[in-house]
Amino acid sequence: MKLVFRTMLITAAAAIAISGAYAQSAAIAKRKDILKGVGDATKPVAAMLKGEAPFDNAKAQKALATYASAAKELKGLFPADSKTGGDTAALPKIWDEKAKFDAIFDKLAADATAAAGAIKDEASLKANFGKVLGNCKACHDDYRAKKS
Amino acid sequence: MNAPVEKPSASAAGARTLAWDGPTRLFKWSLVLLVFDGWLRNTVGGAYPAWHKWNGYLALTLILFRVLWGFVGGSTARFTNFIALPGRAFAYLRATLAGRPQKYLGHNPLGGWMVMALLGLVGLQAVSGLFAADEDRLVIDGPFVKFVSDATVSFAAKWHHRIFDAIEILVLLHVAANLFATFVKREPLIQGMATGYKPVEPYADEARARPGSWAAAAVCLAIAAAVVFGGILAAGGRL
Repeated sequence: MKLVFRTMLITAAAAIAISGAYAQSAAIAKRKDILKGVGDATKPVAAMLKGEAPFDNAKAQKALATYASAAKELKGLFPADSKTGGDTAALPKIWDEKAKFDAIFDKLAADATAAAGAIKDEASLKANFGKVLGNCKACHDDYRAKKS
Repeated sequence: MNAPVEKPSASAAGARTLAWDGPTRLFKWSLVLLVFDGWLRNTVGGAYPAWHKWNGYLALTLILFRVLWGFVGGSTARFTNFIALPGRAFAYLRATLAGRPQKYLGHNPLGGWMVMALLGLVGLQAVSGLFAADEDRLVIDGPFVKFVSDATVSFAAKWHHRIFDAIEILVLLHVAANLFATFVKREPLIQGMATGYKPVEPYADEARARPGSWAAAAVCLAIAAAVVFGGILAAGGRL
């Protein structure tokens, strides 16, 4: 009986430890996956902005919708126990100024929604899309580790 | 090539003499604006990559202009008149620290090296930008990025950031030195670079600058622009 109880206790402790670690690495994997999707959605629009591809509002709108939903999801994917591991490029500074960090996601969502309504043609794309991308840069400049 | 020497104007505030010709001053303040704007567009206006790239093309054009102008421009703008041997620059530094520096109409021996360092760094900054891109290779890339390896792009981007740090340090030093000279030592260097004229003094280099001509300046600028924009387009780069 005692042995069974002890085994149960150890198993439970191990399960909690493993699921904790899993939750942490799951948050890192999930946010990396979402940000990868953001990058993929941006690619065709970046080409339009550089004049390498013809204007395609469907792609611009898809990117903006991706940003708006990603911004809302990402806010919850930087829990305090996800500072390290999973090859994350997130800088510890994020958790020193979490409110400021989260505010960028709010602004990204708001700017993306506003731009979605404003973009109709190539001129309005060039006039409005940059402001949205500025949020990506603001966050990456301050909160993402440089590769080199 | 050179316009007739202008007569120093005498005013109630005292006799003044020409120190910097128009093209040199126009170049100087344009470069200040471009470098500041390039920083601004990147820092708060990361939203406008195309604009930041134009900051770079124009800055590179101005630097090339200044190199040409250093050979055919006004006397105080010519390299031969302000590039001093390191020994003279150190002697000037010692005299300054001792509180008895000689006055120069043009760049003093230390200031001359600051000018060369700033020109060199801003030039390198512009050139590195031609090969640099953002980390995700998404939003901004220089016109030569597509011709070089990804490692080269990373290298250029890394130096694009480092060189700017160095520019910031030199700009702070340069501005501090000029503020100190103008407001503490009462030598109106900033007014001189703004108006072109400085008080008549027993200057160590020359009494009055011989101005370069606007026509020569236009030719230098045209050559510089042709090299930068022609070079990018001829290589198949997109602005």
